[in-house]
Amino acid sequence: MFGSGKPRPVDEHEARGETERVYHEIRQTLRVTGINLNFRVWASFEHFFPAMWDAVQPNAQTRAFEDAADRIRAEAARSADALGRVHAVASALVGESPAYQVRAALDLYHYVNPKLLLLTSGVRLALEGERVGGSASGPAERIVRGAPPRMYPMEMVSEEPDDERTREIFADIQESLGISRVNSDYRTLALWPAYLEVAWRGLKPIATSDPHRSAAEALRQLARTEARAFPYPLTLTSAQVEALGEDASAVLKTTAQFEDLLPGLILNVALLALEERDAGALARSPFPAATAGGAR
Amino acid sequence: MRWREFQALQKVTEVGDRFVSYVDQGFGEPLILLHGIPTWGYLWHSVLPALARTHRVLVPDLLGFGYSDKGDRFDRSIATQAEMLDGWMQGLGVERADVVAHDIGGGVALRLATLFPQRVRRLGLMHAVCYDSWPIEMMLQFGHPGVHRKVSASTAIAGLKLALKQGFASSPADELLDGILAPYATEVGKLSLVRNAAALNTNLTTEITSLLPRVDAPTLVLWGEEDKFQPVRFGERLAWDIPDAKLVRIPEARHFVMFDQPDAVERHVANFLDQT
Repeated sequence: MFGSGKPRPVDEHEARGETERVYHEIRQTLRVTGINLNFRVWASFEHFFPAMWDAVQPNAQTRAFEDAADRIRAEAARSADALGRVHAVASALVGESPAYQVRAALDLYHYVNPKLLLLTSGVRLALEGERVGGSASGPAERIVRGAPPRMYPMEMVSEEPDDERTREIFADIQESLGISRVNSDYRTLALWPAYLEVAWRGLKPIATSDPHRSAAEALRQLARTEARAFPYPLTLTSAQVEALGEDASAVLKTTAQFEDLLPGLILNVALLALEERDAGALARSPFPAATAGGAR
Repeated sequence: MRWREFQALQKVTEVGDRFVSYVDQGFGEPLILLHGIPTWGYLWHSVLPALARTHRVLVPDLLGFGYSDKGDRFDRSIATQAEMLDGWMQGLGVERADVVAHDIGGGVALRLATLFPQRVRRLGLMHAVCYDSWPIEMMLQFGHPGVHRKVSASTAIAGLKLALKQGFASSPADELLDGILAPYATEVGKLSLVRNAAALNTNLTTEITSLLPRVDAPTLVLWGEEDKFQPVRFGERLAWDIPDAKLVRIPEARHFVMFDQPDAVERHVANFLDQT
């Protein structure tokens, strides 16, 4: 996945020009403290990236989008609850502050990942020529912009960390999940290497099981259903991408890979979060969004 | 003590929308140790065990530092840090404490002693920023917003490591420097440190100069004589302006006096806390 040499993610501090503008818009619109791997990889297609964002942003700022992501998150909590339990925090985390911060980091990804899946599904369907969105007859209600005050910063270790044990865990994650880049989530959890080690040891047998694959596929289908019901049409065709001078098949391949990857990741974050709270609590958004003052 | 061991000691509490990590060790009268820039509570790891034998030692990471909140959406000035400490102490049920502080932590302590005097029982100042002694050139440059875009975290850490060595009369071990800089080794950590540097503001100490003669807390001003970042002449001024202050000059020590002369620092601080 994301095979050698192509595409190279654009980190937040490296972003310039249009990419920097879009990164800011993503943080504000999706109400998140950082830019996930999904976007950082898309940003390597420098002409596609702003065009993609301009196509999805009208939907991403709506209450309907937020509610759809909430439904995906709730379904993920229920599915994860049925998959089993990972016992990580109690045995691996020494210290009150690290435990607090792991919880906060899990809340961050538990919040944002369903939005990423929803958005990615919409983009993939549109690139494949399917009609996406357009359910609204008038202006849709919008949510407030900006990351919630208590949301954890999207801090993460380097993709190639100095710590040998963490490098080994990253390699095992990549091999087990069939990915060539380690997602932000795992890189954030690697801030506490002892936790990541125990968490991954507990997650691995569940994350590579058939029930997990089935639950992930159900989430992916739910996201597709929700994307098709976006309030505004998502107009982004492969022909448009080609006209921008990008390789549409490479863009679609990357997008499809993320759509396939994200449901499992959502389940894995939920599995880790379930150690601290029950499925009912986990089904609720950790950062409910207020409605913005009037539709634009 | 390695930095991971120190991190594992940290508790956490929320002050408003922010979270503050801190170490809470020992029993007795509360003693708060404040770090400066670009360090964190780990600065005090070598003196912590001895002080915790006689005191309840509280070592917070200031906002934006160490393993306290490093989000990019709040003020990190020493004014805000003093207000945070007031709220933090209230949350912990600590009405009054001895406060020993280093570098910009000293600026925070000075604001606490002048603007929240009921919070400070005794005051220890080591190489404290004061008057117009700060910011030093290196930190002024580091605080430029462009640094975040131009310099990667790994490059920033390498540069800071070299710069920190100038603050030692002795030769610091790599492990110590790595521990001091560990929270800033990620892009988020680096950005937080850039913002911390951007918040360094001379006005926040010059505006309290006229209040220094009103500080009624017994005060120890402890300074390495060879400090190039905060020269000892500023310590001399503090000792003149604060009525019940005593200046102790430590030979063969620079900015990080607690590492250059750990025994002397431990002895002077312990005597100060025992005798006043």
